[in-house]
Amino acid sequence: MSQNGQSPSVLIVDDEDMVITSIKAFLQLETSFKVYGFCDPEDAVQFAGDHTVDVAVSDYLMPKMNGIDLLTRIKEVQPEASRVLLTGHADKQSAIQAINQAMLFQYLEKPWDNSQLLLVIQSGVERARLFRELRDKVEALDSANSRIKTVQRRLIEAFL
Amino acid sequence: MSSPATELHQMAAVGRLLASVLHEINTPIGSIFSNTEVILKSLEMLGPLLEQDDPESLDKARRIVEICQSLTAVDRIACERIRTVIRGLKTFSRTDGSAPEPIDVNRILLDTLKLTQPELGNRITVETEFQELPDLEGYPQMLGQVFLNLLVNAAQAIHGEGRIRIVTRLEGRAIRITIADTGRGMTAEEQARAFDVGFTTKPVGEGIGMGLAISREIVEEKHGGKITVETEPGRGTAFHIRIPVPQTRSKRQ
Repeated sequence: MSQNGQSPSVLIVDDEDMVITSIKAFLQLETSFKVYGFCDPEDAVQFAGDHTVDVAVSDYLMPKMNGIDLLTRIKEVQPEASRVLLTGHADKQSAIQAINQAMLFQYLEKPWDNSQLLLVIQSGVERARLFRELRDKVEALDSANSRIKTVQRRLIEAFL
Repeated sequence: MSSPATELHQMAAVGRLLASVLHEINTPIGSIFSNTEVILKSLEMLGPLLEQDDPESLDKARRIVEICQSLTAVDRIACERIRTVIRGLKTFSRTDGSAPEPIDVNRILLDTLKLTQPELGNRITVETEFQELPDLEGYPQMLGQVFLNLLVNAAQAIHGEGRIRIVTRLEGRAIRITIADTGRGMTAEEQARAFDVGFTTKPVGEGIGMGLAISREIVEEKHGGKITVETEPGRGTAFHIRIPVPQTRSKRQ
C-alpha cells in the first residue's frame, strides 16, 4: 500500500527491555529499517492497528499475553506482516505445535545469532512486501474485472 | 543414606532445575552476545569517522558512542541477572562459610516489605502483626531472601486486589513467622511439590522453581527451623516458619 519509498518497519516485542535495546541497536547499525520496540504486548497490538508492519518479532512467554497469541492478533490487523517467534522457552514441543497452528514465518531461539536474525528479518520484509504487492495487483485486477463486466452488461443492454 | 528412588527423583529435579536455569540465563546471554558484536562493529566505524574531522562525521561518531554506552549499561544488567541466578544456586550448594550473627526478625521483615512495596503497589494491602521478639542466631541476608521469596510468591498468587498478612509470634522457645495471602491457593499436587527443586507453576521467565526449595534449605538446614505450607484453592496460602531461639541468650535488646 504505502511501501513505495518507505523504509521497512520492524516490531520487536519482549517483556525484557534488554532484548529490545540490543536488537534495536543492532538493526539500526546494520539496516535503515524503522524499529519499534514494545515491552507490553497490548501496546504492540495497538501500534500494529494503525501502522504498517513488515516484520513482527516476539518473545514467547510474557506476563500478559504469550507470543503466539500476540502474533495471531497482529495477523488480524497486519495480514501481510511476517511473524517471527524469538524464544528462550525450554519446552519446545508445545511451542512447535502452537507455531504450526499460528502459521508463523520463523522460529528462533535465544540466545540468538545476530546474522541469522538479520537474514530472517530481511527475508521477512521481502516476503511481506511481495504479499502486499500481490494483494494490490489482485485488487487492481478485481476492479478492472468488475469494470469490464459493467461495460459488457451495458453493451448487451444496448444491443437488446 | 538415600535410596535409588530418591536419587532418581533428585536427578530429575536437577534436570528440571538445569532447564530452567538455562532458560533464565539465555535471554541475558543473547543480549550480551548481540551487544558485543554491535559494539565491535561500532568501534570499527569510529576510527575512520574520527579521522574525517567534519561536524557531520563527528556528530555521527558521538551518536555511535552513545549507543555503545547504552549497550554496556544493558550488559551490566544482563550480567547482574546471571549473577543472581548463580547466587541462588550457590546458596543451594551450601558453600557459604560466614559466621552466624544475631537477627532481629521483625526488622528484616520490615526491610523486605519496603523492598517489595513497589511491586505490591495499591493492589495489595499488607497487614502486619509483630510481637516483640528475642534475636535469632543465623544469617540475616538469607532469611531476608526467604521473606522476599514468600512475599513475591504471595503477590503473584493474588490476581487483582487482595491482602497479605504477616504475623510474628514467640511460641515457647521458637519464633513463628506466618506469611498468608488471599491468592489463588494451591492444588493438593502443587502443595505436595511446592518445595521441590525446579517445580514451578509460574510461566518461564517469572520463576524457575528455586525460590521455595532455597527457602526451605535456608530455614531448615541453616537455621534448624521448619517451614510448612497451608493452602486452599481459591482461598489463599499461608507459609509458617518456625525457628528455635538460641538457648544461651534468649533476650537481647
